[in-house]
Amino acid sequence: MNAALELRDLSVRFHTGGHRRAVVQAAIDVSLRLHPGRILALVGESGCGKSVLTSAILGLLPANAEVRGEVLLGGADDTAPLELLRCPEQVLAGRVRGRRVALVPQSATTHLTPVRTVRDQLAETVAMLARPAGTRRTRPGRAERAALRERCDALAVRAGLDPAHLDRYPHELSGGMAQRAALTFALAADAPVLLADEPTAGLDRPLVRQTLGALRELADQGRAVLLITHDIAAAEEVADDLAVMYAARLVETGPAARVLADPWHDYTRGLLGALPRNGLVPIPGQPPELSALPAGCAFHTRVPGECDGAGALRAYGDRAVACRPAPVPAGVAEKEDVSC
Amino acid sequence: MAERTLHAPAAAPVPAGDGGWISAARPRAGMPRGPRRPGWTRPALGITLLVLLVSYALLTPWLAGLDERLTDHGRALLAPGAGGWFGTDSAGRDLFVRTAAGLRVSLLVAAVCAVVSTVIGTLVGAFSGIAGGWVDQLVMRLIDTVNSVPHLLLGIVIVALYGGGLTAVIVAIALTHWSSVARIVRAEVLSLRDREFIDAAVAGGASRWRVTRRHLLPAVVPQAALATVLMLPHAVWHETALSFLGLGLPPHTASLGILLDEAREAVMLGAWWPLVFPSAALVVATLAVATCGAALRDRLVPRRRTELSL
Repeated sequence: MNAALELRDLSVRFHTGGHRRAVVQAAIDVSLRLHPGRILALVGESGCGKSVLTSAILGLLPANAEVRGEVLLGGADDTAPLELLRCPEQVLAGRVRGRRVALVPQSATTHLTPVRTVRDQLAETVAMLARPAGTRRTRPGRAERAALRERCDALAVRAGLDPAHLDRYPHELSGGMAQRAALTFALAADAPVLLADEPTAGLDRPLVRQTLGALRELADQGRAVLLITHDIAAAEEVADDLAVMYAARLVETGPAARVLADPWHDYTRGLLGALPRNGLVPIPGQPPELSALPAGCAFHTRVPGECDGAGALRAYGDRAVACRPAPVPAGVAEKEDVSC
Repeated sequence: MAERTLHAPAAAPVPAGDGGWISAARPRAGMPRGPRRPGWTRPALGITLLVLLVSYALLTPWLAGLDERLTDHGRALLAPGAGGWFGTDSAGRDLFVRTAAGLRVSLLVAAVCAVVSTVIGTLVGAFSGIAGGWVDQLVMRLIDTVNSVPHLLLGIVIVALYGGGLTAVIVAIALTHWSSVARIVRAEVLSLRDREFIDAAVAGGASRWRVTRRHLLPAVVPQAALATVLMLPHAVWHETALSFLGLGLPPHTASLGILLDEAREAVMLGAWWPLVFPSAALVVATLAVATCGAALRDRLVPRRRTELSL
């Protein structure tokens, strides 16, 4: 199956200024594939470099960042994929952001302009994304304004938000309403790829389920969804595929159900062990600073365990794991391709 | 010895209102007064005062049918009552009409100056904040240079170059006061441009120009509008100062500054009214505009508007 979005050995690093000059390795050789109709959950502790991937994909990294690798946005059947890391800003702004790759932000309330109503901003986004890139905006007539209003209402209904709430200012929405409002923006152009960056952070369980349900529905409609979360229980609910990240590297990937049922990497086991149903056993120690990563395996420097010191993933069938040979079932051979 | 408690004394119980509802408002830490009550009292007071002043300034010379420049030395320095509501000045001119005419000129100068300086300041400040880097540094040093010279001194030089008159006064005040607005707008832009809603707008496909126009500048408007309103009394005071020094408007033209300048001699002769009424007009105009400015700020920021239930 063609990937809607593919990350090939994507590395991101930041040069910090001031008297404490350092290089922060935010992502190292990350390879992922997002497929239409599937949700890939990227899990890991806060600060491991998950969110920086969305900024890299959308070309929103700050000036002190450097990237390496490739981010391929799948084209239609007859067109070549678009390599986003080397795309000019005009192409990203005019053809990619919002139109082909949409972002569902973490803190929806702070992602909306505070002095304008949600409807005003949504109508502007819908009108902007409906126009071909580079064309000038013309003042909409009465019929166009009415159509725009109906389109906004329809988007709100699709996202599970009462259309009347669109007329509110961002601070007048609850966390759940704001999250659904943010979802309406991501739906504005029917982008085939959705990047959901911690969309359930700070929400209670019913709202988490509601948000995840909305993402599942969008995936079922054919979109490729990247769900970035530190909540492994949320990933468990909706993800088709799972990638586990630790200290800027992927340590395990594979089908979500199988990875969660039978984790191969010690870190994945540690994350599962920290769930309430498994006794809330925390992983000992602290994650390393990304500006001072240890030379060998970052996780087994923190928690001693069986490790061959190789940080790269090794693939076995549709799963991949770092640090040690996997308990490979008979008949499954090691592969070169390590993308999820 | 009475035992000292580490805790704040318990607040007085809040009386129950309708249906058992009680106010949840509490005095905030470090705020000596109670919470600000939402309502229209203060804004209404400010707006009423401003409307009355503007009506007085615009309508009085027309309704009275008197030329404020008309002298009648036989009626010089008549006290309020015999010489009309505000009395007469040392040239026998009716001070009620002349104060209104002076207020009209001063408010006109102030309004034009406030708008011009706000437009210049907003454009320069927004450009500087958005451009950043060496452009920002260059603009800031330019503003520092403008601010390093006393505004009144700079105003005097400009008025001297233009040879006095209404236009010269407006130019002098506008050109010396845009810098403070620019600083305010630049600071606001700098604080806003790294906010998440700007990143979200970019991630949603908005161009840099659209982000600036539709997301950044609307968020700056409350501060810029407040700066405009607060500039009004400031400009009145500057116009008054320039005219008082004899550098502003021609002596026969009524303005608050000229009226106060003329009042100096009258006060020496024991006549208080030529000083009190123009001064009162100046003070009331300042207070009215400041009150309206505070109300405008509350209404332009949606979060504050909600908090105050406006």
